[in-house]
This record gives sequence, C-alpha cells and structure tokens, in this order.
Amino acid sequence: MSTQESIRSHRLDRMAALAGAGARVGINYLKHYGRQAISGRADSEALQEQNASEVFRTFSELKGGPLKLAQMLSIDQSLLPPAYAKQFARAQYSAPPLSYPLVVRTFRREFGKDPREIFDAFEPQAAHAASIGQVHRATLGGRAFAVKVQYPGVAESLRSDLGVVKPIALQILGLRERDVAAHFREVETRLLEETDYEKELRSAMHLSAACTHLPHIRFPEYHPEFSSRRVITMDWMDGEAFDVFADGSAPQVLRDSIGQALWDFYAYQIHDLRLFHADPHPGNFLVSGDSLCVLDFGCTKTIDAAFHAKQFAFLDPALETNPARLAAAMESMAILLPSDTPAQRAHLTALCKKSLELLARPFRTGHFDFGDPAFMSAIYELGEENRRNDTLRGIRGERGSADTIYLNRTFFGLYSLLTRLRAHIQTPLPTGLVFE
Amino acid sequence: MENRTRILEAYTARLREHGTPPHTVLAFCKSLNLSERDFFHEFASLDSVESALWGDWISGLTTRLENGAEWKEFSARHRYLTFLFAFTESSLDWRSLMLTRFSHLAPVGSPPFLKAFEEHFKVFASDIISHGISTGEVAHRGPLQTLYPAVLYIHFRAVISFLLKDESQRFERTDAFIEKTVAFAFDVIRTQAIDSAFDLARFLAPSAWGKMS
Repeated sequence: MSTQESIRSHRLDRMAALAGAGARVGINYLKHYGRQAISGRADSEALQEQNASEVFRTFSELKGGPLKLAQMLSIDQSLLPPAYAKQFARAQYSAPPLSYPLVVRTFRREFGKDPREIFDAFEPQAAHAASIGQVHRATLGGRAFAVKVQYPGVAESLRSDLGVVKPIALQILGLRERDVAAHFREVETRLLEETDYEKELRSAMHLSAACTHLPHIRFPEYHPEFSSRRVITMDWMDGEAFDVFADGSAPQVLRDSIGQALWDFYAYQIHDLRLFHADPHPGNFLVSGDSLCVLDFGCTKTIDAAFHAKQFAFLDPALETNPARLAAAMESMAILLPSDTPAQRAHLTALCKKSLELLARPFRTGHFDFGDPAFMSAIYELGEENRRNDTLRGIRGERGSADTIYLNRTFFGLYSLLTRLRAHIQTPLPTGLVFE
Repeated sequence: MENRTRILEAYTARLREHGTPPHTVLAFCKSLNLSERDFFHEFASLDSVESALWGDWISGLTTRLENGAEWKEFSARHRYLTFLFAFTESSLDWRSLMLTRFSHLAPVGSPPFLKAFEEHFKVFASDIISHGISTGEVAHRGPLQTLYPAVLYIHFRAVISFLLKDESQRFERTDAFIEKTVAFAFDVIRTQAIDSAFDLARFLAPSAWGKMS
C-alpha cells in the first residue's frame, strides 16, 4: 500500500467514527421526538446532555486532534450549548497516559540518554497529566524538578485531524463554517503553538522574567539544559491546587490577596506587555503560602498596540451615553459593517451595549466583589441568549477581530477564577488608556 | 578474523551496496577469497547467512535489555514496549538494509532469510508471556496461549512495516503506533475477549463449512 493510500484509510476510519457519532445523535433526536409524541412533552435539556455525551465519547475515542477541537469549541461559550461545553471541559483530564518505556524512548530520542542517566531519581509514574503530555517528578543534587513530556507525533496528527474533523464537527454542532472561519484559523494557530515546546519554553522564560516584580506571583525556574522539542523541565512547585484552595476554607483576606495577584498579573500582561498567558484555567495555577504560582505557558497570545487601543476603547465610560462614539468603536472593530441595514445596526448596537454594561462592570467602580455569583451567571445567560438569538444568527458576515477570541477567553477565565475564589479586589481602569 | 564474521560482514556490505544478495555461493566465496569448504563449514546456504545476520541483531538486542538494571522491575507490557522502542532506535543503523529486504514483505509469511530473526523473537516473546502470566497481566488460557508468541510476531512485523513507511519527523508516529497497539493488545489478552472470539469462531466455522460443502 502506498503512503498516500494509508493516510487516506486512516482518515476514512476517523470519518467513519465521527459519522457514527452523528448517527447516534440522530437516534437520540428520534427518541426525543418519539417521547414527545407519546407524552406530549419532552425534556430538551436531557436530550442535549445525552447528545453532548455521545459527541464527547466519539471525540475522546479519537484522542489527539478531535479532543483539542472539542476544547477549542468549548472556548467560546456562546458558540456551544452549555451541555456540550460541560462535557468538553472534561476533555483535558481524560487523555491516556504515556507508558514509562515511551518516556524513556522520548528522552533517548531528545537527549541520547535515559531519564535516570540525567537525573538522580525519576518517577516512572506521571505526577499529573498536561493537555498534550504528562508531568514526571525528578530530582538532581537535592533539587526537585517537574519534567513535562509530550506525546510523540501529536503535532502531526493534530494538523491532519483538524482538517478532517472540522466540517463534520460543524455539522454535528450546527455551526456555519463561513461565520467562524477566521475564528477557526486563530484557534488552530494557537493549538498548533501549544505543541511547540521550544516556543513555550521561550514564552515561559520571557513572561516569568517580565512579571517577576509583581507581588504574590511566583514562577518556577525553567531549565533549558533539560528541555527540547518534546520535553520541558522546570522546578517542582509545592502548593495547593487552585480549585482545592478556592473551594476550601481559606480566610477571606487570603482569597482577596490571591485574587488581587491574579488580576494584577493579567492587567500587567495585557496592558503593559501586550503578551499574555491566554489559558486561565484552574489547572495552570497553584497556591503556595500567600503566593500564586503560574505553571503552564503553552497558550500565549500577542496583541499589537493598534488592536489594544481599539479593543479597550470600549472601556470608555462615555460610550454608554454617547451613541455616536459607541457606533465608531463598533465600526472600528468590524462589529458593524457598512452593508448593515438600520434594523441590523440597531439590533447589534443594543446587544453590544448590553454586553458592555456587563463585561466592563468590574472596571466601573474601581473595586469589585466577585463573591456574588450573580455576575458570572449573568455572563453565562448573556452567552446563552446570544446563542439562541435567531435575529443574530440571521445577520451574516464575518464580524469582529479574531484577536478578540483569546482576549475574551482570557477575561472569561479570569472572571471565572475570581468568582471561584470569591475575591473582593481593586479593579482600576488600565493606566495610560486615553479616551478621545 | 574468523570466517563466520568475515562472511557476515562481506554479505552485509554486498547487500548494502547492491541491494541484492549474492547470486551463488561460488561467486560469493571467490570475492572473499574463501574456499567453499570453509563457507559450508559455517553456513548451509546463502539464506542461512542472512538469517544469522538478522537473528544476531535481535538476540544482541534482547540480551542487552535483559541484562539492564530496570528490566527485572518491568511488567510484561513494559518489557515488550522497551524492546520495541530499543528496536526502533537501533533500526536507524539498519534502515536502508531493512528497506531493501523488508519493504516488499507482508507482515505474515516467513521467508527463509528471517528464520533466526523469527525464532529469537518468539523465544523472547514467550518469556514475556510467561512473565505476564506470573504477574497476572495475561490471562491463563491453556493451549491457546501457545499462539501468543506467534501473534506478537505478527504485531512486531506490522510495527516494522509501519516504521518503514513512516515519514514523520524522527519517526515519532511509529512510537505512537507502538504505544497504542501494545496498550490495545495487552488489554485484549488480559480479558476474556480472545475466549469469546474463539468460541464464536468455533460456533460459526462448522456451519460455514456445512454451507460450502
């Protein structure tokens, strides 16, 4: 069999597996309507849950690319019904572990040595999973290290899988490719970057050096001499997992201080460095004493000064009372297009105003209490409302800048983490922002 | 240099340069300046020279692994994985030779020039299976389990086929292929899946024969 044929059959296998999920979703719908016909009522929520599990099961059977695709679709909450988002959020915990011989093989390929020839001790069992690999604990000369090892061939299969799976996934999830094309491109770029450990090491070293002066934020030291295309070695950090800390009985003062550190860390990256850690997920942080440790720089995003100015012009308080300024800001970001009818303009403007009122709320008062869960659930509700909004779906055209995806994801993640911490913190407007 | 080594080295050099084995023992001996008597004292045929060539590779590899410090602690699955990864690593020195001699072969079938290669592997594989039975990783299955080394040999040959077609950087896809197929294989031999398949085959086979006759 030629190489071309073997690749094709490999793709066909995957397509068959996905088509299977599509069929199962279809059967669930039949059951749903059957039940509706008999009883006159049906539980739509339950149907969605069931479909989400089916799709998720198929995606995780395929591992690799489809799994990451699932994650990328769950990034933008408004693209996905909550049931899907919930299932997909599980994705990063369920990748299969690498066997110890494969870890040894990877070391021999990368360094020409066994891990136990490099370190005094190397745990054969992974301490925990990373999104596309796993972390082992090692020691050398009394110092403890966290050694992150990547699955072999993950970048290649990611590339081929995304191409095959994308149209089918869009079909299953009921999305229109044209409207999300730029978004897909952006997410694909970021996902492929996550497989580039050399870039991750550079970002990690750069960002941790640039942020080291911030109070209550700590970074592990990175070790390029034990790092390569497939391995990243950093100091082992002791501490409490972020979600354990947040859900535990920590005193309010400590919650506020950790929350403030988190906010300041992101404010500094976004507004001063314009390069930021774009994956504020609980698994990427530890709490150690009165400090927050940042562990993973796989996903970082750079924005330019022009985009930053346009994006954060939306924080101008005058926008709420001055329609002309709001329209100008929306046009500058291509949220409003010249071809829009007056009715469409009005609809989009109302929507934008509503989102803005909610998302900019923490900035309005200079301090904010994330302890009130109503704020986060209002954000979820808004996302859900937009998703169900038929008028909005009917408005065509690719809108907004793809750069906003990861910025939105970052703010969404940041707000979620702060809500989980129930932190009450200072939330000033970024300094140096000039509103004309 | 003793004759066995001379013959093996000359044979390998010829395979590497010409891509084909020598045509006759006579011609081969002439090029080596060796008498036929001396040749047949070491090997019965040209095929057995090549058989020794590949067989020595596998037995050298398994001996090295079995004497390694960590080998005793490894489970059967980890031993088999360690062997396959050591094999792919070592195959970098043999890749062009393997491409000339293996790429046209189907994973099943036993050409004479791979006799010792196959035998050494199967002895090694049955050691792994016995170890697996003693640790409970492999289910006891009476006479059926004598087939396991043969099944692992087919798997090993499939790994070689995959490796020779692999175009990925540093053959990483082969590593993933090994990891995934071995995980699957050991999942199957740990459970009753084989028993059920065998039972189904026994049930279907007579009726299939009945319909044909």
